[in-house]
Amino acid sequence: MQTTAESGSENVLVIRDLKVTFNTYAGDVKALDGVDLSIRKGEILGLVGESGCGKSVTSLAICGLLPPNAAVESGEVLLNGNNLLKLKKEQLRLARLEDIAIVFQDPTTYLNPVLTVGSQITEIIEAAPEVFTKRLVESRLAELAGPASAGRPAAEIEAERSKLRSSLEGGRLPRGEVKRLSKLYAVSVLNMVRLPDPERVFRMYPFELSGGMKQRAMIAMALIRGPKLFLADEITTALDVTVQAQILELLKDLKEQISGSVMLITHDLGIVAQVCDRVAVMYAGNIVEVAGVEELFKRPLHPYTQGLLAAVPRPDVTSGELTSIEGSVPDLISPPTGCRFHPRCPHAFERCSNEKPRLLEVSPGHLVACFLYGK
Amino acid sequence: MTVERDEESRPEEGARRASDIRFSLHLLRSNPLVVAGIIISVGTLVLSATSGFIVNSGSWQHYQPELGLCWNNPVINWGFKNIFNCGGKVYTLGTDLKGRDLLSMIILAIPTDVEIALEVVASAVAIGVVFGAVAGYAGGLLDEFILRLTDVFLSIPVILLALVLVVVLEAKGLPVSLSLLTLALVVTWWPVYVRLVRSQVLSEKERPYVESLRAMGASRTRILFLHVIPNSIYPLLVQATLDIGSVILTVSALIFIGLTPNPYYPELGNLVNMGIQHLAIAPWLVIFPGLTIFIISLGFNLLGDGIRDVFDPRLRR
Amino acid sequence: MVAVLIALSFIMFYLARGLLPPTTALAPFITPKMNDVEKLALAQSLGVATASCPSYGAFSTQVAGCIVPLWGQYIGWLHQIISGNWGYTLLPGIAGTQTTWNVFWARFPYTAELAIGASILTILIGFPLGIISATHNNKPPDHVSRVIALGGYSLPQFWFAAILQVVFVLDLTVRGAGIFPGSGSLSTTCGICVGNIGTIHAYTGMPVVDSILSGNLAYFWDALVALILPALTLAVTSIGALTRIIRSSMLESLRQDYVLLARSKGLKERVVVYRHALRNAILPAVTISGLLVAFFLGGAVVIEDVFSWPGVGSTAVAAISVVDVNFIELYTLVTALIIVVANLAVDIIYAKVDPRIRYT
Repeated sequence: MQTTAESGSENVLVIRDLKVTFNTYAGDVKALDGVDLSIRKGEILGLVGESGCGKSVTSLAICGLLPPNAAVESGEVLLNGNNLLKLKKEQLRLARLEDIAIVFQDPTTYLNPVLTVGSQITEIIEAAPEVFTKRLVESRLAELAGPASAGRPAAEIEAERSKLRSSLEGGRLPRGEVKRLSKLYAVSVLNMVRLPDPERVFRMYPFELSGGMKQRAMIAMALIRGPKLFLADEITTALDVTVQAQILELLKDLKEQISGSVMLITHDLGIVAQVCDRVAVMYAGNIVEVAGVEELFKRPLHPYTQGLLAAVPRPDVTSGELTSIEGSVPDLISPPTGCRFHPRCPHAFERCSNEKPRLLEVSPGHLVACFLYGK
Repeated sequence: MTVERDEESRPEEGARRASDIRFSLHLLRSNPLVVAGIIISVGTLVLSATSGFIVNSGSWQHYQPELGLCWNNPVINWGFKNIFNCGGKVYTLGTDLKGRDLLSMIILAIPTDVEIALEVVASAVAIGVVFGAVAGYAGGLLDEFILRLTDVFLSIPVILLALVLVVVLEAKGLPVSLSLLTLALVVTWWPVYVRLVRSQVLSEKERPYVESLRAMGASRTRILFLHVIPNSIYPLLVQATLDIGSVILTVSALIFIGLTPNPYYPELGNLVNMGIQHLAIAPWLVIFPGLTIFIISLGFNLLGDGIRDVFDPRLRR
Repeated sequence: MVAVLIALSFIMFYLARGLLPPTTALAPFITPKMNDVEKLALAQSLGVATASCPSYGAFSTQVAGCIVPLWGQYIGWLHQIISGNWGYTLLPGIAGTQTTWNVFWARFPYTAELAIGASILTILIGFPLGIISATHNNKPPDHVSRVIALGGYSLPQFWFAAILQVVFVLDLTVRGAGIFPGSGSLSTTCGICVGNIGTIHAYTGMPVVDSILSGNLAYFWDALVALILPALTLAVTSIGALTRIIRSSMLESLRQDYVLLARSKGLKERVVVYRHALRNAILPAVTISGLLVAFFLGGAVVIEDVFSWPGVGSTAVAAISVVDVNFIELYTLVTALIIVVANLAVDIIYAKVDPRIRYT
């Protein structure tokens, strides 16, 4: 059995031994082969690995959004103790609405082209208005007390305030009020993601926005739910480097505001270094190493991690040659036996092809799945 | 980290296609509806070719007036008695007014419809490929002209144009023959193929591998005939298969209305037409020939659908 | 698309005038009392015979120099119709008694009524069937729906019409078990045959509508019953086509990334399907619906013929057999115009639904 990350800090998400297989005409693709992962409350965890190693599959499995030909063979996904895999349809839907938010890679294809950005945000609120009532009213009250309302006459502000307070006591808002407040709330969230002129953006269609703006809108759709877990699946990969930097800045700032945890999926180690607290390295459907950011970069233990770090081109070293990891990504239909990395590993020995190494804590906060360390 | 290789810009796409074909055949076999379609279509074609051998080819002339409008197949009871005493040999599908065996007549009628359908579709495809490829590849005024031409022909309802053509040609002294009917149908059917081929060619033209071929110095005609056209055939195949069914429906409808060389020509629509007069007392004369048309058309539609499902790249993920 | 209409009319013109003897051009205008001099004058006034033509006999035997070249005839004909002169009808039974124009527009409402009935049936049945098929892909409702759609699409309409009549009128049993009791009360083979149940005022020309407007319920019922079979027959094939299109475009739409995002936002499945998937999938269905309605309005010739429905389609068949050129031309042009209008309507709906088209 693997050991949990550590005692003390609460875990928002715990994935245990998750196995997912895809049923294709060419055979069964064993995409996830016993993934163990945990995310602590309030932290940003980076999930790195090459394309095809199963990072996106993991995030989709968490949300329960795997395609029809995928089957969860075994394992659990515990969100604050509840196994998401065992939830009924309606419960899962509410979990997606309130607790987990996922932002995808390419904002162009993930936004519905025939609906306005604003309506794609407010529809979330309309999906379960009771859930959002409190938030809507509080946000509006905060707005009324804030600098944005400075220009309005005091009597007006007070009138609206008392009207809001009374409806808050009643528990339910009339539909017209919900619509009005939803729009205001959506605009405020668009503002939070630093979109210029959020009122205008609210009315615009996705094709009228640039890539960076669309991505911010998607992030807004995630934030508005105030999720406990925020999954960011390669959210900057499709953007220019400068826009990428802006989005990352946004993420860092938001980290203060959102009390939730973030799982940042990326193949770019640079991003990980900038933004993440801890890092998990994934290879061919397994987590092979987990550590704090600095620790991982200073002391990479798993041969794959070492290879990854060595492969990053360094402008200050003038050796001329680029190092890479030998071999290529394994075929997941008939994956290597034992440790899936062993065919490419410079340190492999006999045990590696016979047994599969488990994720073990070899020093405080640093886990590795490799027979070079521990038992 | 990973270098993107644009698979499509390598001219040897052909190798990939081979495994595609194996996959496609696998898909074709696994869908029961498609299998049914294959069985029916192939069966129809075989039946057309061999009808003369299976059934006495003189059945349409084999009059037995004393056994007219007979039904003695015990499986179905129409609720009324036969006009004549029909004992003796059981006619699987009954007899018509002149006592001819309906089943034989149907089997002999099938090849007529199938032949016309194949001729029409083959001609329309041929015309469509030539004009459509030229229009799509050449572009410019030629393209515009051909497109407008198809617009005009597509605005006319199929049956109307066929009717007018046949009547007019007939009035000029040319007898209504099946070739005439075929010609009329080809005239109404070709625009669809021109459009189809044209749009395929237009999208293939932009593919990266065409650019590579041009860079390697291949001539435009060579590219057109050896690469672009072969890669565009899948939608054509689908449309052609579906159209075989549609043409059979249209032909039988036209002949049913009366555009036939002679009312006694072995053809399925004709059979229905002859039977309509006796609908109240011999419904089988209408039901079974029509059922045959239905089944044949169904078979080709199933097959066409199956091919489309199999070759649609988006559905293969 | 004026160019298309002109080209179309010319093709029809060429077929009728160019390939047939020139005397047929006179037929809609000739009255029995005309003598040869008058006929020649008529031919010249219609622009068919040249001014230098000596006699009607020369004209009808097509002596060289007597016949205006086809281009000229076409221009002459254009002049006529633009001034509204479509001549008298040649249709059997009413030849010479009414103008082609009147006959056409008297019959058109019947075709329109059939078209409306068939369109309603098609859309009401086709849309849900297609959507269900897509949302329950590869499960039993999908298979059933596909079979129905394919069946309808493969059906010979003229045969289906006969089958319906058999089913409703005859006493059919299979191995002794009755299927439908005979109910010969339906007037299924005589078009609109209503008994002696009073009259209605012709507001629109469509019996079903007019009978409601005139308050004659018995008439309305009969008209409705008479409408059902032809409308159903017409609709069956179209339902097949519509269902298939909706199914495939919905499947495509449901596969899209934005549907995945919509689900991930915790939206209800119904919202995901209708607000996100369907709204994107609906465009091809709109195109097809437009084409179908245009086709219906063109007078589904075979159906009208089989059911003896007094619409423009069946009349066109009769007109062709007597080579009533004017009617054929009028019919063709109106049909083409309807198709053009339908395409325009489809384009407008496209722009409304898809904002990308509006702004680019």
